[in-house]
Amino acid sequence: MGCKIKAIEFVFPEQIYSNEDINREHPHYDIDKFQNKVGISKRYRTREDETGLDLAVKACNLILNKYSDLEVDYILYCTQSPDYIIPTTACILQDKLNLSKNVGALDFNLGCSGYVYGLQLARGLILSGECKNILLVTAETYTKFIHEKDVVNKAIFGDAASASLICEHEDDGVLKAVTKTDGSGFDKLIIKNGGSRFKYNKESALKSYGNNFYTDNKLYMNGPDIFNFTIENIPNLYFEILEINNLKSENIDYVIFHQANKFMLNFLRKKLKFPKDKFYIDIDDGGNTVSSTIPIAIKRALNSGDIKSGDKLLLVGFGVGLSYAGTIVEL
Amino acid sequence: MKIEAFLKELQDELEFESIKIELKTILKDCDEWDSMTALVLMAYASSNFDINLNAKDIEEIGTVESLAKKLGLI
Repeated sequence: MGCKIKAIEFVFPEQIYSNEDINREHPHYDIDKFQNKVGISKRYRTREDETGLDLAVKACNLILNKYSDLEVDYILYCTQSPDYIIPTTACILQDKLNLSKNVGALDFNLGCSGYVYGLQLARGLILSGECKNILLVTAETYTKFIHEKDVVNKAIFGDAASASLICEHEDDGVLKAVTKTDGSGFDKLIIKNGGSRFKYNKESALKSYGNNFYTDNKLYMNGPDIFNFTIENIPNLYFEILEINNLKSENIDYVIFHQANKFMLNFLRKKLKFPKDKFYIDIDDGGNTVSSTIPIAIKRALNSGDIKSGDKLLLVGFGVGLSYAGTIVEL
Repeated sequence: MKIEAFLKELQDELEFESIKIELKTILKDCDEWDSMTALVLMAYASSNFDINLNAKDIEEIGTVESLAKKLGLI
């Protein structure tokens, strides 16, 4: 017995935030150079009264409308933008989707590695025989966390939600994952205030790094250290994922890494000597949507015909935590 | 690698158009320096010299001459 990804859907908020908008707000920032290097021309932002859960409901309904006869028995909800500190967002989602009370529901707090973790958890629940149909949701609204003067992060991140239906199947469609953690880098991508350690402070001082400004109430990302962490760890992780699944590079039809930044992805692709046509890079429309970039990429690659049913995909997520993980799926 | 070739490569990699990079150039003082340029420099060092520069290294790099020393060219 195994499990497969039966369906993926994703949604963006309606509000577009384009490079022209950024140029208008930050005329001294070279947005053309940014677009050329990072590869993003527009991203989507939630309204002030709109949350990740609102997006998640839309994405889940796209799936449930297609599979109305299917009984979901578990919700795995990946977010760092919950509606409330308490309660669990997945519980609210169960109600909003009118799902049975027999549904298990949990949130897990991970960023860019979250989708791979979600697949690993879904696989474990199905292979243990306890579940048959799992709704794996990723929903993130980082744009709410970014300081209005932090031009680079405003240009990188966008909001989105995805929903994937993972179902019991006679074939193995989700293989073993490799999951790794380096918590010593917890402060490389962080919102320092507002949790239990440091309270939200409305007097928090404006700080700067490079061309960016932020306060400790807002998102801080140490780009160079995150880049270094990625180039030091992800190539090795790639080979570990192949090894644990007794596969070789030539067995992989397509590679999808977390869509963080075109420049970084090209660097990794060259390092791994992967041909362009087997390595997904496209964040032009939507930007870095954290845990949603991988499911969005799979769906888009399916729609464009770059991948098809039966293909083996190697997936890798990496970022905040610091956390990195990868797996292989067969569609 | 000769210093002249290094300076030309660096100029091409960083895509600085408003200034000619020399040993005495302080990269971070250049108008075109930004956080993305730092990543480009890190990728260049990793690919061509197998040296991974971290954020602290980037912070400490003064002139291009000090970068060349860090990369073992001088």
